[in-house]
Amino acid sequence: MSTNPVMRTEKLVKTYKTASVETPALRGVDLELCRGEFTAVAGPSGSGKSTLLHLLGGLDRPTAGEIYLDGVLLSSLSRDALSRLRLDRIGFVFQAYNLIPVLTVLENTAFVLELRGVALRERIARARKILGELGIEKYANQFPNRISGGEQQRVAVARAVVAEPAIVLADEPTANLDSKTSLELIDLMRHLNSEHAATFLFATHDARLLDRVSRLVTLEDGRIVRDEHRVKLAAARA
Amino acid sequence: MKQAWRHLWRSRRRSLLTVFAVLIPVFILVLELGILNGENKSLFENTVKFETGHLQIQRAGDRPEGGALPLIDDPERILAIVDHTPGIAWRTVRLDLPALASNGSRSQGILIQGVVPEEIGQVSPIGKLIAEGTYLRTGEKGVVIGKELSSLLAAKVGDDLVLIGAHPDTGMGAADVPVVGVYTAPDPTLGRTMIQVDLGLAQTLARRPGAATSIVAFASGVAGPWDAPKIDRVVKELRAQLPSGYKVLDFRELAPDLKTFETVVRPIHVLFMAIFFILGGLVVLNTLFLSVIERTRELGVVLALGASRRRVMRMVLTEAFLLALVGAGIGALLGAGLVGLAESGGGLKLPGVYSDFARVMGMEPVLHMRVTLSELVVSGLAMVGVALLAAWVPARRAAALEPVEAMRHVD
Repeated sequence: MSTNPVMRTEKLVKTYKTASVETPALRGVDLELCRGEFTAVAGPSGSGKSTLLHLLGGLDRPTAGEIYLDGVLLSSLSRDALSRLRLDRIGFVFQAYNLIPVLTVLENTAFVLELRGVALRERIARARKILGELGIEKYANQFPNRISGGEQQRVAVARAVVAEPAIVLADEPTANLDSKTSLELIDLMRHLNSEHAATFLFATHDARLLDRVSRLVTLEDGRIVRDEHRVKLAAARA
Repeated sequence: MKQAWRHLWRSRRRSLLTVFAVLIPVFILVLELGILNGENKSLFENTVKFETGHLQIQRAGDRPEGGALPLIDDPERILAIVDHTPGIAWRTVRLDLPALASNGSRSQGILIQGVVPEEIGQVSPIGKLIAEGTYLRTGEKGVVIGKELSSLLAAKVGDDLVLIGAHPDTGMGAADVPVVGVYTAPDPTLGRTMIQVDLGLAQTLARRPGAATSIVAFASGVAGPWDAPKIDRVVKELRAQLPSGYKVLDFRELAPDLKTFETVVRPIHVLFMAIFFILGGLVVLNTLFLSVIERTRELGVVLALGASRRRVMRMVLTEAFLLALVGAGIGALLGAGLVGLAESGGGLKLPGVYSDFARVMGMEPVLHMRVTLSELVVSGLAMVGVALLAAWVPARRAAALEPVEAMRHVD
């Protein structure tokens, strides 16, 4: 694993404001993610996990603090430039799968490549390869509503990694899955992490998944309260 | 494109309703154009064949009092020039003379057309519209009158009419002339006022043997008023060749009423159609607004994955384009099919009171329809344009979505 940081935050603050109420979600988060890390962000509901992932993914803007992705300061980017950065450098896996219902599994997987302007033949080949790796190539021509939740989430993972982004951000990817499927999904993500040196950061509150990560960041009330590198686990797996 | 198509297919019922809403204005527009073109052509043909020709050569100068045209004493010299002018398909000599027609105690002011029957018969429909008796023969002393005049004067075939012609340059001439034929005019005004006699008889009534008032000509390759530029070219050529003292007038100058069609009737129809198109556009707008609202979450995901705002706008506009293209295509084809079907049967014959109304309005009681390929394409494209314009608002709304907010949207 490289110690080269992919993503870094400095005193990251996010406060949600309504007319009369200010709700702090993050209260000064300093985090550095290195290339190839397989990191979980854990914490109870309302601890700021999803908010952190949204900010890191450029889907939302912080109230204060900075985020750097491969040295690029996200707050300096326009909305369009941020879209382009997400497309080129970040893969997303969402809790509710969020596949595009009118596209087949293969088309959903290749969608990000299409947005990037990759030629049809190449994007199909790359999408098929990753679907094969995740064991769902047989569903390539099915529409999402014809496959199970676990399979849909695998497709979402395939979509997130197919374009080989700098980092994959997964927000509670197993929240809607049973425990067996959840573990299988995390193992698949771990496999992609080790085979492709893909950097993963996923939010979860499922304690059973945490012994599979190389690093565990625990959030409470918008602050990092623990940051553990699971070297032992990695060594044991090796 | 495929994605847009599938989105539309996913909401089939709504898409079909939208296609229908787009189809209707285009269908009606094509029918309207068919009827307008057909009526425009009918008006044009009635005017040029019964009255004006495509163009006329007349003596220059104001009309003398009484409405008579100045006399041309040597029409043969002008005919020789006309015969050597390219683009002339047909020409004849005519002498038009205001006159009074009487039968016993009944009289009516009329316009005599002194014609060469063999020549005028090639273009004038009167020969084919004879309801009683026969048409004129060259040199024959006889008159062909409209049904309306026949009724006013209580004159039938075989009766003698007293025709009193008057020309300011020559004075008055009169003759007893038998009615040889009664024609059915497409326009009752025409049937009441226009009679035809042999040119020689008209020259007698005008008291100027060998004279005429106009050379009437048709240009080659003219199928309708839309071919007016061909007539304009011939007019220009003739103006360059004719000696001074003569003028060339085209059908628009000879029958200014034809312009009414272009300046009044067509704009009213355009306004009428604009309302239909706007309604069609509003349905497209409504459909796409609903679609964008329903797919807020999906659009949020697309934006989160890195799609540009332009791309998202294009997704929505592509759906509008497809809806409009399918609707406009079907509408145009249905319209063209109906126009073709109507014309293959010789036009739609108007029933009862509509037929009478058409005749009163100076039109044939048969609805002729005609539509060109370019009109079909323009009609369809106009609807596509309106739909895209209408889709602009929901497309902008979709593109302006914030990914996180959009993904929280509950269907």
